[in-house]
Amino acid sequence: MSNMTLNIVGKSVLRVDALSKVKGEAIYPQDIYMDGMLYGKTLRSKYPHAYIKVDTSEAEAIDGVIKVLTYKDVPGHNSHGVLFKDHEVFCEKKVRRVGDPIAFVIAESEKIADEALGKIKVDYDILEAVFDPIEAMKESSPKVHDNEDSNILYHYKLKTGDVEEAFSKCDVIVENEYKTSMVDHAFLQPEAGVAYMEEDETLTVCVATQYPHFDQLEVAEAMGLPLEKIKIINPAVGGAFGGREDITLQIHLALAAYITKKPVKAIYSRDESFEAHSKRHPYIMKYKTGATKDGKLLAMEATIIGDTGAYASWAPNVLRKGGVHATGPYEIPNVKVDSYAVYTNNPFAGAMRGFGATQPPIAYEQQMDMLAEKLEMDPIEFRLKNIFKEGSKTATGQILAESIPLKNCIEEVTKRINTIK
Amino acid sequence: MKKRGIGFGNTFYGTGYGNGFPDVSNAVAELRPDGRVAIYVGATEVGQGAKTIMSQIAAEVMELKVEDIIFINEDTSITPDSGTAAASRQTYNTGNAIKKAAESLKKEIIKRAVEILELNSETGLKVENKNVYLKTFPDKRVTFEDIAKSFKDNLLRKEEVFIAHSTQMDEEEGQGCPYWPYTFGACGVEVEVDTETGKVDIINAVVAQDVGKAINPLLIEGQIDGGFAMGYGYAIFEDLNVKKGEIKHNRFSNYLIPTSLDMPNVEKIIVEDPESTGPFGAKGIGEPVMTYVAPAILNAIYNAVGVRVTEVPVTPEKLLKLIVEKEQRK
Repeated sequence: MSNMTLNIVGKSVLRVDALSKVKGEAIYPQDIYMDGMLYGKTLRSKYPHAYIKVDTSEAEAIDGVIKVLTYKDVPGHNSHGVLFKDHEVFCEKKVRRVGDPIAFVIAESEKIADEALGKIKVDYDILEAVFDPIEAMKESSPKVHDNEDSNILYHYKLKTGDVEEAFSKCDVIVENEYKTSMVDHAFLQPEAGVAYMEEDETLTVCVATQYPHFDQLEVAEAMGLPLEKIKIINPAVGGAFGGREDITLQIHLALAAYITKKPVKAIYSRDESFEAHSKRHPYIMKYKTGATKDGKLLAMEATIIGDTGAYASWAPNVLRKGGVHATGPYEIPNVKVDSYAVYTNNPFAGAMRGFGATQPPIAYEQQMDMLAEKLEMDPIEFRLKNIFKEGSKTATGQILAESIPLKNCIEEVTKRINTIK
Repeated sequence: MKKRGIGFGNTFYGTGYGNGFPDVSNAVAELRPDGRVAIYVGATEVGQGAKTIMSQIAAEVMELKVEDIIFINEDTSITPDSGTAAASRQTYNTGNAIKKAAESLKKEIIKRAVEILELNSETGLKVENKNVYLKTFPDKRVTFEDIAKSFKDNLLRKEEVFIAHSTQMDEEEGQGCPYWPYTFGACGVEVEVDTETGKVDIINAVVAQDVGKAINPLLIEGQIDGGFAMGYGYAIFEDLNVKKGEIKHNRFSNYLIPTSLDMPNVEKIIVEDPESTGPFGAKGIGEPVMTYVAPAILNAIYNAVGVRVTEVPVTPEKLLKLIVEKEQRK
């Protein structure tokens, strides 16, 4: 590897898409216009947990409204989801969060579509809701999904060594609870898209996405159409960070174009965008970490509870990743981690940059400083005694074989941070 | 009073889907009639620089300029599935698939050149700037364009797949090899805390990020800056203020994120230690670059004012309350 001469790899080549973006020439979904195009708007739930009955007749009677779509209009499966098909394209009986899609107005203009939204009658039969994941874990809590007997969607267990015995041998122990908030990806470009039928009956959806081939599958399943009849075109994407992994408007648009045989466009406002896509899981993290007086980490125990809101999205994978990364990059021979993904009636949480491994460092890195303080040791020196290096074994028993330059990273930073005064 | 403090954070990060989940990237390399090379992948450009670094990987293998690579990734009907632009996996996974596809295509091009040049072996042949020639007798050469033409209407196309390795973990003790490769990084920050308002400013920041091998250093620096901003927002500003399931901060006038005015100069150090299974040794860094920022800031706040904040974001109100409580305890 070292004697390989490279011509282009390793060079700061100008981004190939830079000029089109800075000159405003790149085409984002919102920039697409087609002849005879119709506009769509989504009606969303106002309540976090309720049975619903929907009456669209008054909205459909408005001049310029082509149709109002509800669950009855979905020809295939009225469901989607990256891991479990627990999102409904349009809620049929029940809404589980504020913002759940109930109906989609197709109209000749955005203005008419807006007007029609106000004319759709939704009869909400309000249900008891649960917003605190610890409450939601109790047997007596209201269940977000009727078919589940618990709101605990996933439990990851990690165990190595003997934690209890190890803590009895620790000279210093630090115990704390940490909480992180629910946050948004805050990408620049709110969701937008256009769908249309091609001459050969291919149903095409132009939408900014992170995974066109998975969108293709989800649209095909909801439409009850073969995969090859669905085409996803991915124009320029204005940021994603995990927020474009779950379906938002793809199926609504596909359905609208399929039924009307005309191009249909939808553009979300910023507040609708906040309601439509996933969030970062808020974590409650209970940490107990212990070390010997010579500064060696001996034991760690953590309980991590992740609030996934009303839908699973990637929750099991997110909480597993949180559990796997709970130790930080440190060799700890005795570890016990329990991480849980829990349903609540909050906005749904899914993928976001760091995917469940962003939250634990807030806990374990503060634990490191606190242990070092108790030991009266320099926090960097304390870390260097315990970090992963070549040949280290992680808490999951994995041997780190190569490319483990953490020591270099720490040394590079400390060299310069000491000059910050 | 304004008080300054220094804090540190480091992390590791497993890339790819992990846990034995099929992590598959497909790529097609195609010789165009004009001698350029088209790459077809399903990987999306979400602003991370995929189009650029993947074109660099193909150009490197094919000994071409980046301008001679036509990168096609927009349409499911003409591109193969390369998985999602997530899990910091595109550089490693699709990068590997592109490298394999380009190597396959190059091999076929050389094979055809041997036939056209009526040589008895490919030994001594060099590929350079859309030409294949004999190193010891450069006049013996054929262009990519002529090679493409020799296939008439059938474009020369090679498709390859890269599948990453990871294992499922056992259900009882969570043991196994959940991710590969892992990426490492460290961050140091200096903060200034106003003890009268609870406001935290970042004065200075240093980040050292392991990348395996840098494919495009400038794009990595861009990711580090972006990751820093996102981690900074997470630590200090961002809260959707969800009340009874409803997002109260649902626009940028009340959901606050850092702006360029908040951002400090982040000193960026790229640490290289090639990963043998990565394309040219590269590993993905899209996500790890944000993970060490918040803990470094929180540790710096403690160093500055002696209070431990265990809940993010550290809003001025929250921090001021903790500072006042600490003063009262004295």
